[in-house]
Amino acid sequence: MSVLSDLIERVRSVIFRGRDERELADELRFHTEMDAEQLQQGGIGASEAHRRSQLMLGGVERVKEDVRDARGTRLFHDTGRDFGFAARTLKRNPGFALVAILTLAVGIGGTTAVYSAVDAVLLQPLPYQQPGQLVRLYYSEARRKEERGFVTPVHFLDYRERMASLESIAALGTYSETGADISTGGDVRRIRLLGVSADYFDVVRVQPRLGRALQRDEENAAPTVIISHGLWQDRFGGDPAAVGKTLTMSGRPHTVAGVMPNGFVDPLVGAVDGWVPMDLSPGRDVSNADNHYLSVIARLRQGVTIARAQDELDRLSVRLGEQYPDARLARARLDPLKEDIVGSSSKSLQLMLGAVALVLVLICVNMANLLLVRGSDRAREFALRSALGAERRRLVRQTLIESLTLALAGDLAGIIVARVAMAAIVAIGAGSIPRLSSLTLEPRLLVFSLVVASLSALGFGLAPALRAAKTQPGDVLREHSRSATSGGVQMRLRQWLVVSQVALAFVLLVGAGLLIASLRHIRQTPLGVKPQGVLTFELHLPDARYDSTARARFYEDVAERLGTLRGVTAAGGITKLPATGDYNIWGTRAQTGPLAGTERSGMAAQQRVISGKYFEVVGIPLIDGRFFDEHDDVAAPPRVIVSRSVAERLFPGVRAVGQTVRTGGGTKEIIGVVPDVALDAQGHMGPHVYHAHRQFAADRNWALSQVVRTTGSVEALQADARRAIAQLDPQLVMFKPMALDEAIGQGEAQRVFTLRLLTTFAGVALALAALGLFGVLSYSVRLRSREFGIRMALGADRGSIRGMVLREGLVVTAIGTGIGLLGAVGLSQLMASMVFGIDPLDPTVMVGAAVFMGLVSTLAAYLPAYRATSVEPSSVLQ
Amino acid sequence: MAGESGELLQGTLEMMVLKTLSLEPMHGWGIAQRIQQMSRDVFLVSQGSLYPALIRMKRRGWLSTSWRVTANGRRARYYELTAAGRKQLGVEQASWQRTSAAVDWVMTARLALDGGHGT
Repeated sequence: MSVLSDLIERVRSVIFRGRDERELADELRFHTEMDAEQLQQGGIGASEAHRRSQLMLGGVERVKEDVRDARGTRLFHDTGRDFGFAARTLKRNPGFALVAILTLAVGIGGTTAVYSAVDAVLLQPLPYQQPGQLVRLYYSEARRKEERGFVTPVHFLDYRERMASLESIAALGTYSETGADISTGGDVRRIRLLGVSADYFDVVRVQPRLGRALQRDEENAAPTVIISHGLWQDRFGGDPAAVGKTLTMSGRPHTVAGVMPNGFVDPLVGAVDGWVPMDLSPGRDVSNADNHYLSVIARLRQGVTIARAQDELDRLSVRLGEQYPDARLARARLDPLKEDIVGSSSKSLQLMLGAVALVLVLICVNMANLLLVRGSDRAREFALRSALGAERRRLVRQTLIESLTLALAGDLAGIIVARVAMAAIVAIGAGSIPRLSSLTLEPRLLVFSLVVASLSALGFGLAPALRAAKTQPGDVLREHSRSATSGGVQMRLRQWLVVSQVALAFVLLVGAGLLIASLRHIRQTPLGVKPQGVLTFELHLPDARYDSTARARFYEDVAERLGTLRGVTAAGGITKLPATGDYNIWGTRAQTGPLAGTERSGMAAQQRVISGKYFEVVGIPLIDGRFFDEHDDVAAPPRVIVSRSVAERLFPGVRAVGQTVRTGGGTKEIIGVVPDVALDAQGHMGPHVYHAHRQFAADRNWALSQVVRTTGSVEALQADARRAIAQLDPQLVMFKPMALDEAIGQGEAQRVFTLRLLTTFAGVALALAALGLFGVLSYSVRLRSREFGIRMALGADRGSIRGMVLREGLVVTAIGTGIGLLGAVGLSQLMASMVFGIDPLDPTVMVGAAVFMGLVSTLAAYLPAYRATSVEPSSVLQ
Repeated sequence: MAGESGELLQGTLEMMVLKTLSLEPMHGWGIAQRIQQMSRDVFLVSQGSLYPALIRMKRRGWLSTSWRVTANGRRARYYELTAAGRKQLGVEQASWQRTSAAVDWVMTARLALDGGHGT
């Protein structure tokens, strides 16, 4: 035989399937007719001949099946037909299909999206060569090793010179965002800059693709810049000749030294447009040995462990402590860079992963439930078809294909959900979760969840078919015609499935409830400021056009000008908004008072430089002394306002106003005392020292965040403020305008992110559990409709029957909630790190979740209960 | 599908179909009738085995088909031997003769032995 002709014939029969089928039918009809004719010729009556000829055929469908088999395309045809059939069956029951597909879509989409996020943030190594060698170096104190602070330039230079265990080390200016205004045509745009020491690109082991890296002799704020691939494209159209050209940033011309490769991402900050050499000259001035503002990353020498490097660092720190009396207790600690970056978000993502796992289990359970109902519904259909001669293997396969159709549709919908969910995760989590921007739909993950969900659909779809195949068709048909059930055991199984759903949903509800309660607690935590009704934005003044005198005047002018806007009560500025993090922690030493000259005369305090009526704007009251006024300028002796804890620690028992402190490289008189304010949104209070910008403008180009209090709406004020600024200087950019409470809320973004996702999951879980309960009760009502009819005929009132069904639902809910409660207790350990200000077993949350669960269950149970009594007894009994 | 005996039967049926068609092109019913007659009513060929066999043989390129009008004016599908089919018939016939002769020897030999012991 020829393989080729065989193949051609098979392909032909696939293509001409319709014609083949028609011809086969014709051929078989011809055969039967000929048989009948022959019988009639033998003297048998026409109808008897017809009957016998049919018998001789032995079941036309059977013969057709065998012929199709012989064509060698049967599997193909049947499968195609089964898919068509499955699609039709599903279409006939759209509710079932929709619920099943949605269930799968949510399961697959949710799991993939969240797992992708976890994978991108936690599991993927940092995108640098030998990422395991990368470490973050923090300042810590001899007595508080846990402390992680910024490094001083003095110490940084020492580490760079003396640490043998480090292959390279680099400093970054991350504690405040730096930027520059560049003009493109008539448009002024702000770009993001990162100040780095020369070895930065050696540490991450990524070199510019064009030009050169930074040099150590440029570490004096030399006008050099390395630009990002994006800026290169934008500004220079990707021209290789850009290297060596001049880029004017904030009015100051910079030479483009290099271009970074496309896709380069900084480890600690995101979306950098340009890297400029950091000014390390303060590092050679010993008075800066207590001046903390550098972030430091380093690369361990090949084969050196972090412990060994830490040993060396400890020994060096002790020696440096002797060298710098200002920083006698200064130490340093090393953390693996990845741990440092991922840090606290890992808990939140692990929690997410747990929630996803729970939802996935829930979804499998729901699929099981759905398909089990469907399976028992169709037992009769299967029995009938098997009695009519359909092969059992075929029935099983058809069920399998039906499940597969569902699974495929669910998979498709799931991919869409995953895409949407990932976009949402990136949108919600951006800024609060590091590395999230690198999130992509990971194909392996997609395949994983597709497989899991499909398997669950197939597995649970198959079980009923296998059972149907095993039972005797006759039994099933008889049983069903009496409307009895095969279902006692199955009913109980399904009830347990619902119990497990309720339990899982309850756990998620508790999780979401705890986070909501935490967040509310945080919102109510006193921060020491009144952030509502305050507009804030950054205003950067280019050095080229503004010297320190101009800056000092301009910021006051801006505050004054903004203060005259309609609805505005006060305006001012500050170097770092309250409750948005640490900034400029400087040593502050009492020069007078009882502690002067003693070991306890110094402390680290948050330094802030302010302009205008800052205190009035954010609602910080005066405790003692006075606020700054226009007389506190460069001509006047340097003055500061301190917060209460500074006053109490440095000047115990005496009045702080009138005393002097040494801070920021000078001796300053205290003129006022204000309360402490929070350093973060959770309300951790910190000691503060406030400097007047009028006096301190020369120290550096402080970029002041403007704050404007209005009695009207913050959004409306924005346009007015923009106009006012443009009138003062049309080239300035009003950068990152937002409400102050929003700016403070960003510190809580991670918690909000977790909360939103967890609430979504809890909602999904609740819906699934309710759906499961509804399904089980509806089914049980259907099975018992005869029983209910008899009861009602015998005089039971509708209320008592509804009660029976409702009770059934609530018993299931109660058991599920009980189990869920145990689960929540078990998980409280994990939750403890996420909740704030409340006990992870908070009774209000627990009771609330239980009540909510009960309410939803009652709703889910009510419809079936109502339906149980809506039938006329007579119609059921007939 | 059944085991070896089914296979053997199938092979035998195919051979008989080839033989039938070597005389003249024929439709399915005619083939069944012809085999029944030629085997003196020993082999009753059912449609369930005949048509699958025809399709298989067609797939192997032994048969070609065409729709024609029968003597009494009906449309029927006629099967015809191809050159490959004719060759196949030769192969099968030779192999069958060898096999049946061999089976015959075995069966008669066994009878002779039995007879030897019995008498």
